[in-house]
Amino acid sequence: MVNHRLVTIIAKKELRGLSEEKTIILAILLQLFIAMFSSFLMVGLSAMYDPSMYGRISGVQYGIGYAGNDTLLLDLLARDPSLMVYQMDPGNAIGALKERKLAAVVWPSGTSPDAEEPVVVKLYTIKNDIQSTVIEVKVKDILLDYEGILRDIRRDRLDLQPITVTPSRPVAGSTFYEFIYGLLIPLLLFMPAIISAGLVIDLITEEFQQQTLDTLRSTPATLEEIVNGKILACIAIIPIQVVLWLFLLMLNGIRIASVIEILLHVVFASTALILIAATVAVHYQERTKAQFIFSTATIVVILLILALPSNPVNLIVLLAVGGAPVTHWAVMAASISACLILLIVIRNVIQKKEFA
Amino acid sequence: MESLHQLLTIAIWEIKRFQGSMTRDLLPIAAILFILLILVSGFTAQQGIHLQDGIYRIGVDSQKYFNIIGGDMRYQVYALPPDIQNIRTLGLDLAIRTESLLRTNDDKGSAAQKSFERDYQAYLDTLYRHQNDLYAAYPLWIDTESVVSELDFLATQSGRQLASPYQASNTLPVPENPEKDIVAPSGVDSYNMDDLRLQLEQEAARGEDQLGRYTDILQQQEALGELRVPSMLSPPLPFDTIIFIFIFIFPLYFTSQFFMMSIMNERTLRQGEALIASPVRPAIVVFGKMLPYALGMILIVTIILLMVGAGISAIFPLIPVILFFLSFALFIGMISRSYKELSFISIFFSTVATSYLFFPSIFANVHVVSLLSPVTLVIHVMDGTGYTLTDYVYSTSLFFLTSFILFGFCIRNFHEEQLFTEKGITETIALFLGTMVSTRYWFLSLVLITIMTIPFVFMAQMMYLVLFFNLPMPFSLILIMFLAALTEELAKSAGLIGLITHRYPALSWRIVLLSALLIALGFILGEKLLLFVTLSQISDSVFGAALFLSIGLLWIPFLLHAGTTLCSGIALKIGGRRFLPVGIMIATVIHCLYNMYLLQGWIW
Repeated sequence: MVNHRLVTIIAKKELRGLSEEKTIILAILLQLFIAMFSSFLMVGLSAMYDPSMYGRISGVQYGIGYAGNDTLLLDLLARDPSLMVYQMDPGNAIGALKERKLAAVVWPSGTSPDAEEPVVVKLYTIKNDIQSTVIEVKVKDILLDYEGILRDIRRDRLDLQPITVTPSRPVAGSTFYEFIYGLLIPLLLFMPAIISAGLVIDLITEEFQQQTLDTLRSTPATLEEIVNGKILACIAIIPIQVVLWLFLLMLNGIRIASVIEILLHVVFASTALILIAATVAVHYQERTKAQFIFSTATIVVILLILALPSNPVNLIVLLAVGGAPVTHWAVMAASISACLILLIVIRNVIQKKEFA
Repeated sequence: MESLHQLLTIAIWEIKRFQGSMTRDLLPIAAILFILLILVSGFTAQQGIHLQDGIYRIGVDSQKYFNIIGGDMRYQVYALPPDIQNIRTLGLDLAIRTESLLRTNDDKGSAAQKSFERDYQAYLDTLYRHQNDLYAAYPLWIDTESVVSELDFLATQSGRQLASPYQASNTLPVPENPEKDIVAPSGVDSYNMDDLRLQLEQEAARGEDQLGRYTDILQQQEALGELRVPSMLSPPLPFDTIIFIFIFIFPLYFTSQFFMMSIMNERTLRQGEALIASPVRPAIVVFGKMLPYALGMILIVTIILLMVGAGISAIFPLIPVILFFLSFALFIGMISRSYKELSFISIFFSTVATSYLFFPSIFANVHVVSLLSPVTLVIHVMDGTGYTLTDYVYSTSLFFLTSFILFGFCIRNFHEEQLFTEKGITETIALFLGTMVSTRYWFLSLVLITIMTIPFVFMAQMMYLVLFFNLPMPFSLILIMFLAALTEELAKSAGLIGLITHRYPALSWRIVLLSALLIALGFILGEKLLLFVTLSQISDSVFGAALFLSIGLLWIPFLLHAGTTLCSGIALKIGGRRFLPVGIMIATVIHCLYNMYLLQGWIW
């Protein structure tokens, strides 16, 4: 029979060790870094490629060389206030582009709008230049307009007519809603689980490899109680971090609907992960092997879970946006039973090791 | 010859030990897991990732809209009751009523509309692709060509054009050399309609990945034909890069973990005592133990490169990365007290290193900052551009320098006292720094320690540059400036810490002043040296000015560095090591104020 008092004593000892070594601070720093990294990736990149962002740099006009015949495209380009269009001879235009006196050159073919053939436009930009990116984004919009006009002219030739849906009002800019709720929140909430799972392996294998286990065993605690204490410590730090994340997110104005349910889901799913890690650690008794097997196994498990509909991660996303189906309780029950099964497994593994 | 023999002996021992640890109970499970991994990734690829299922609720008044949203799992579709006014009361985010799209007024509503519009575009594209007359559906094709500018690279690549794009004027620009060799846009004779249709299909298939969903402006693009429709014109964002980095980093990370553990194991239970007591030099022990892992990493990387069909010249940029990982593995293995410390530091290090490698390379072909990462060179080899020797020096020198310095630092400390210490990390690092101070030539040691920190400072500053350069202009500059100043002050305190750990000479006021001057000298020397060798391109931009103070006369920065170091030194002298952070903060503030004064033209 497991002595619960001994288990809590060991868990407390491990928690004290964690705070003394300040590793928990490193862990939180790490999570902050990952969050920052992913947000910068999204926000920074989108800002970089978002033409409206550059449009705000007021008064800047990009020079565009236009070669070839007058077409509707020339009007469309000239209408854009951020572009300055020059009608030029193609050779001069490309020469000027190479000398950076222009930002781009547009040269349409002489095909008439209602011809059999498509209109081909040559678009010259400067290689390896960030401004080419901006110009391409700007010109793309105009070309899309032009495409729409041409398509309208050739409308009668289409044999399948599309269903039309007209938005009643436009949406501005890019939104990060889906990124925040659909990616960042699950990532942040499951990071403590991954960290704790790695931690439990370290805590268990260290006792074996540093040969400190024998000393511990000379106390009344059994191997099972020691391992359980370590598992408990690793589980205990999860809700703290999760609540911290949720709090930080809400502080940033990100509304999260069902906090309690999310917390429960994360804790049970994380417990399952930690139990797997502990089982591997007790089995191998050596850090490198255990970490290696566990990380590979984690990738397999996570990929598999994500491929299933109504998986816990998906449910957390739905709980955060508000509007999860009631079946999420059933999934939570499944997580709990997975934990119970894993508890039995680890118990058997421990007993096998203890009497080996 | 003797040393080579010793080196090989230790390497062979290491291999034997590694084989011994890969016992019979590990390999079968590893093999099973590997097979499972392949099976599961196949399964997941087929099933799709169910992460955002049902995140939006949409109401429709007709079945026909299933054609548009049918396959998109993000929607829960409801039948819309007739004559509704407020869709919000029904708990919906979107509704389509008589061909018009309504949404709620919040973030979720606009996000839902955005993703619906993307789906609608995909639907239109599919429909247009299947038109008999493709040229009626796609009447406009774009032939993009990028020309190489003959003007000096420098002005455009330093990030400057972000703030000040060239302004078009009312006068017609006249080139000095008009281009002669040009081809007029032709029709589509050389293209067959079916080929173009196929190309559109391929593009559509490629756009269906999960990553592309998050924003409509990021789309991957490569290996297309020369003609595109306007909607395919998008900035070249190499999503493959992301995958590649992880393909390269993952094995490097794991192999360096093995090396780290091997070093750590020498320390646990003082197992390495025999090795250290033997007449073999520490450098031989370290490199002997490292050799198998280094060769293994090179082997793995070569195999990956051959598998993806890249040129073998792509291996050279990866060698400094391998050295970098190994040197940090050695360092981490030597300083951590426990396994959990080892795990956290190594995970933290690899996350930072991965982002350092990964972030710049996203901008491959877009911005010169991309060259900070050696991985960009790998991408250039793969897309056929190749790299020049200058590129190579530019992007790898910091990696080479930091790894060599770190190896030297660790080997110098590969002794009993430092290896078997039970102290915490900061204490251990202080102990290591103390070893670097020579009792007789302590003044020289101070200069050298400071010079050694320079590549690390640069690397950290490059990291800030990479992370923050695309923030809005004044913020990016101020943030970079503050972090850069903090890093420099931290680096300069290394010498002071070494001095007080060494305990000779005792820290008198005279010594404090003298060491401040020496450290400033070392810093200026190292900075100039490194700037001269490598980074002139970045240092010439305004960001460079924020980072490196390279403008102005030399004695002003010297005085600044001496003054700020003096702040840290005084704090150290008054309050001991506990007060050092206070001193560093004061020094940082002074440093920032000075930088702001220099850069005021850019900020205000």
